[in-house]
Amino acid sequence: MGFILTVSVKWQKKVFEGIEIDSTLPPYVFKAQLYDLTGVPPERQKIMVKGGLLKDDGDWSAIGVKDGQKLMMMGTADEIVKAPEKAIVFAEDLPEEEQATNLGYSAGLVNLGNTCYMNSTVQCLKSVPELKSALSNYSLAGRSNDVDQTSHMLTVATRELFGDLDRSVNAVSPTQFWMVLRKKFPQFSQLQNGMHMQQDAEECWTQLLYTLSQSLKAPTSSEDSDAVKALFGVNLRSRIHCQESGEESSETESVYALKCHISHEVNHLHEGLKHGLKGELEKTSPALGRTAIYLKESLIDSLPRYLTVQFVRFFWKRETNQKAKILRKVDYPLELDIFDLCSEDLRKKLEAPRQKLRDEEGKKLGLQTKSSSKDSDVKMTDAEAPSNESGESSSTAAHQEGASSSEKGTHMTGIYDLVSVLTHKGRSADSGHYVAWVKQESGKWIQYDDSYPSIQREEDITKLSGGGDWHMAYIIMYKARFVSM
Amino acid sequence: MAPSPDPNSVGDGPKRDEATTKVPTKDPKKKDDKKEEDLSEEDLQLKQNLELYVERVQDPNPELQKAALESMRQEIRASTSSMTSVPKPLKFLRPHYGTLKEFHKNMVESDLKKLLADILSVLALTMSAEGERESLGYRLTGSEGDIGSWGHEYVRNLAGEIAEEYTVRQGEEASIEDLMDLVQQIVAFHMKHNAETEAVDLLMDVEDLDLLLEHVDRTNFRRTCNYLTSAAKFLPGPDDMLVLDIAYMIYIKFEEYPNALQIALFLDNMQYVKQVFTSCTDLLKKKQFCYMISRHGITFELDPEMVENEVDREMLQDIVNNTKLSEGYLTLARDIEVMEAKTPEDIYKAHLLDGRASSGPSADSARQNLAATFVNAFVNAGFGQDKLMTVPSDSTTGSAGNWLFKNKEHGKTSAAASLGMILLWDVDAGLTHLDKYFHTNDNPIIAGALLGVGIVNCGIKNDCDPALALLGEYIDKEDSSVRIGAIMGLGIAYAGSQNDQIRSSLSPILNDAKAPLDVIAFAALSLGMIYVGSCNEEVAQSMIFALMDRSEAELGEALTRFLPLGLGLLYLGKQESVEATAEVSKTFNEKIRKYCDMTLLSCAYAGTGNVLKVQDLLAQCGEHLEKGDIHQGPAVIGLAMVAMSEELGLDMAIRSLERVLQYGEQNVRRAVPLALGLLCISNPKVTVMDTLSRLSHDTDSEVAMSAIISLGLIGAGTNNARIAGMLRNLSSYYYKDASLLFCVRIAQGLVHMGKGLLTLSPFHSERLLLSPTALAGIVTLLHACLDMKSIILGKYHYVLYFLVLAMQPRMMLTVDENLKPISVPVRVGQAVDVVGQAGRPKTITGFQTHSTPVLLAAGERAELATDKYIPLSPILEGFIILKENPDYREE
Repeated sequence: MGFILTVSVKWQKKVFEGIEIDSTLPPYVFKAQLYDLTGVPPERQKIMVKGGLLKDDGDWSAIGVKDGQKLMMMGTADEIVKAPEKAIVFAEDLPEEEQATNLGYSAGLVNLGNTCYMNSTVQCLKSVPELKSALSNYSLAGRSNDVDQTSHMLTVATRELFGDLDRSVNAVSPTQFWMVLRKKFPQFSQLQNGMHMQQDAEECWTQLLYTLSQSLKAPTSSEDSDAVKALFGVNLRSRIHCQESGEESSETESVYALKCHISHEVNHLHEGLKHGLKGELEKTSPALGRTAIYLKESLIDSLPRYLTVQFVRFFWKRETNQKAKILRKVDYPLELDIFDLCSEDLRKKLEAPRQKLRDEEGKKLGLQTKSSSKDSDVKMTDAEAPSNESGESSSTAAHQEGASSSEKGTHMTGIYDLVSVLTHKGRSADSGHYVAWVKQESGKWIQYDDSYPSIQREEDITKLSGGGDWHMAYIIMYKARFVSM
Repeated sequence: MAPSPDPNSVGDGPKRDEATTKVPTKDPKKKDDKKEEDLSEEDLQLKQNLELYVERVQDPNPELQKAALESMRQEIRASTSSMTSVPKPLKFLRPHYGTLKEFHKNMVESDLKKLLADILSVLALTMSAEGERESLGYRLTGSEGDIGSWGHEYVRNLAGEIAEEYTVRQGEEASIEDLMDLVQQIVAFHMKHNAETEAVDLLMDVEDLDLLLEHVDRTNFRRTCNYLTSAAKFLPGPDDMLVLDIAYMIYIKFEEYPNALQIALFLDNMQYVKQVFTSCTDLLKKKQFCYMISRHGITFELDPEMVENEVDREMLQDIVNNTKLSEGYLTLARDIEVMEAKTPEDIYKAHLLDGRASSGPSADSARQNLAATFVNAFVNAGFGQDKLMTVPSDSTTGSAGNWLFKNKEHGKTSAAASLGMILLWDVDAGLTHLDKYFHTNDNPIIAGALLGVGIVNCGIKNDCDPALALLGEYIDKEDSSVRIGAIMGLGIAYAGSQNDQIRSSLSPILNDAKAPLDVIAFAALSLGMIYVGSCNEEVAQSMIFALMDRSEAELGEALTRFLPLGLGLLYLGKQESVEATAEVSKTFNEKIRKYCDMTLLSCAYAGTGNVLKVQDLLAQCGEHLEKGDIHQGPAVIGLAMVAMSEELGLDMAIRSLERVLQYGEQNVRRAVPLALGLLCISNPKVTVMDTLSRLSHDTDSEVAMSAIISLGLIGAGTNNARIAGMLRNLSSYYYKDASLLFCVRIAQGLVHMGKGLLTLSPFHSERLLLSPTALAGIVTLLHACLDMKSIILGKYHYVLYFLVLAMQPRMMLTVDENLKPISVPVRVGQAVDVVGQAGRPKTITGFQTHSTPVLLAAGERAELATDKYIPLSPILEGFIILKENPDYREE
């Protein structure tokens, strides 16, 4: 028997009043009615009646719908949610090495017993990506004959260690590297009370870099062969002058680090560097026929990509038979300009890129290019003659020809940015604690205290300048700022 | 001493000296002065007269005796009594107390003897030794008559002696009839003289509060009831129920229905609730009652007896069913201008942290995204819009689907369910949004959608029962995550409803040998919520069997703790009713026995403030056990559950917990922050905040985690800047520890819950009423936090959504007679306890005037700042209907 019911249906915020149900027809018909009203296809309609869902083939009399009852409908014609085609990769699912990159910095190194000098050296050098890539190109097979076995092993160990550091999340134990290092340089195996002694980080730094420079020398091509030298080498041109005889000679040498001598007058890195480039030496004067005091004044002839500065904080104290430490505070800047330490030739080369750099900075600050050139040197006025910018750059480009053939388009500016600081804490070189402070590509500073890396603020980095018992800078490394032209 | 020519005084000299020294005086100098003045003409006269009377009383002539006694009485009554000094006649009569007593003993029964007894009774006020109760003794043998005429002090003293006498007689099982006559008189006297508290005290001492009903009147019933309700919190059961019963009857007698309803709800007595409805005839008031019931969160069906008219009944039922809650909440949000959706980043405020925050990792972290999902859900709860889940899905990039899939596996459950939280209380819109998730093949998403439906319907009832209709289908599905979603959804949507239909579908799961443990655990929990505080035997039985059926290994699982908890919830706040079940629990496997014991005890006495139970639980916490016992955690939480009901007990509990923290074992220490979180939920007390802040850096990471979550709980919905700052610092402190960071994020979400418009406090109506479903939700979360690693940091993080049961807007919204919001000025200030205070003290202090709707913080109270309207409920919280004041005159 059939009967007609009138119900109201609530859907979302709307109420459809007076919908008729013919109880002889299956509920599917009712749903079709609702489809007309709401646009929701019947298969996606969910109609709720007294705590149950209306089935398509249900029986109206069994459901017990009363006349005038309110029903509720749920359903949308919306698109059904689909999983994105490319599955999302979660950090937790990544292999361990990729998680490491997510942290934004690499792992620390385990202290194997007074090896903080080595750990901090490795961390500082690891921050040089060019060195890393040079090492990765170093193949086991491509070993040249003039490199001895231990140097080769050390180079390989360095490469492995750098790789481990990049892959790992947890602190890496540099056991292999340490063994090879001691093999190559037996002086690092000194024992004291059955323990390995603390060593001078500077010695470690120099020796390691020297070894690498030897082994990374490409055997074939002559030019640009020494990768390490290209990165760190500073060519100095010195004028040696004897006041007594008036003799003068000049010589060039290549060093891996500038020295910052610390005396009473030195308060700033710049002063220390200047001091370090001047020196007196005693040698036989052919003119006088005896030993005389010569003055040696050096100027930088070519700039490295990475400028290393060593603070000469330790000196041998005869009385105590010990390396003593100078605690004097020597400030160093985050941005170092060594223009005035350069030789005349180099200065000329640098002028144009420097101007470009100033202009760019000026633009950044919203200044006019012209106004920014007010306190530049005399050379500037010449360069400014062809008043438009294109002319200027073309003239300087000619100037620069041949200067840096390897990296076309980018030029040194003589301006350097601080990238890593190796600090020492304590009263003598063979004791205390070494820590590396390294700037990441993200711009963040990380302190590598053996196995514990921690994030530091940039303003705290310049506070490592000494004058107390806090960590003080011992070796610092600057990265050249380039300008593309 | 001044010269005294009176020969009578010579003999008494030393004696009187002695007497005067007894009189309490503050400094000796004053006493000397007094001695000088004592013998002023007037005093001397009085003293001589009194001595004369004393002599005459002993005269054999009854006429003379009578005259003397009458005069003596005159003198005593005429003297004004005060608290600080003994009235002069009494002072001068003191030396003669012994003589008169002696004489009285030998007198023959007569009116005169009674008269003398009256006087002796008064004299005993100062003379009688402690514990002798001579005053009462003479009173009982004295003449019946108006005792009030002897002054307040006398009546008060008498009341004290009656109470003592009563206990003695109770011990001897002697008759107390004579005492009761006196009690009648005293109560009448007190009630007439603004000393309701003393009348109530006396009646409580003699256990006959019914008498009160005869003596209250329109002027004093409010103060009386106020005193009764606050005294009830400190009385042992069943006295407290009795006291509230009386208060209820008084309110009904004076037609103060809203208050009567409150007490009926407190007593959880539906008969009383019904009576309120049948006694009241005003429809508008009934609407107000419905708002009060809906805030309490219980299921209540109106029947024709309560409301005759069907249309009216439907409308009232709608209010009880909370269908307007979403609307009211959005009104508040619009008024406060916080509708704009917030993103998790708005909450984290990473830019305020210097350089130490991690630099947005390149890949999505599932854990961090999950945290963001929860933060987003809590912060935008109930607003109906957010920036992750509800953004229109037809836009190709950054659509809802995308965020959902930025969560991993079980994370998707929480993400889908978060939609339910965002659309909280708005059933129609919620179902519309959730619909699309029902049509996928991804089980975790379906589970989330089911849970979301439950959350949307939390506290809302609907004739069509959409939650049951939708979720019922999925209870017996194959996939256990889908089953859990449906079961938990039902538990949340029907908490407190005692719905038989759900029971019949959930109970079989408990005893299904094939069902996985997690499904069983959530089924038990949901049944516990649905039957919260019902003491339902059948449900209890099936849970007990389920517990007995568990294997040794299963009992070691973290989730097993939900079985005893579900059982405990059945007895939430029901005190002794738990005993039979507690007895059964002693037969359980010893692995779970004590856990079950503690859970049952703490649930049954939750919110009672029962000091004995607090001591029991403290004793448990103090034990130093072997490793592996886990029952101390629930004991610590139980401590907070029992003690949280009133301020004094709460403060004591906080201090005790500090001690427990210092001396307790590690598993006790881990629970302490959670207990503190419960005690001060949504009420950031500075001392507790500091303690938790200290613990959040604890070396034990689990202590730190629970402290961090608790920081979120105490600040829940307050936007408290100090906690927000602490959490921000913690987020940088723990940036490397994913688990702790997750906890910090959750806590940040809690603090900004509902953008500061919500509260988690289960207490409402000026801290009188405890919503059982709200407490059930919080306690469940706390128990889950006892094993953070396996539950919240594992794959059951969605238990966090149980908090929705406790989420309520902390608002006061005024509506007119047509239930449309109207704005009126109100004063909001710190509530002042005015119980038992004289006069008409101010109920709030340090107030500010706002226009409704307003937010009420913990411990704040509102009052109307206009006479234009009359509120229909004296407790200005939640929805308040305002009636126009007919006597209002525009100035």
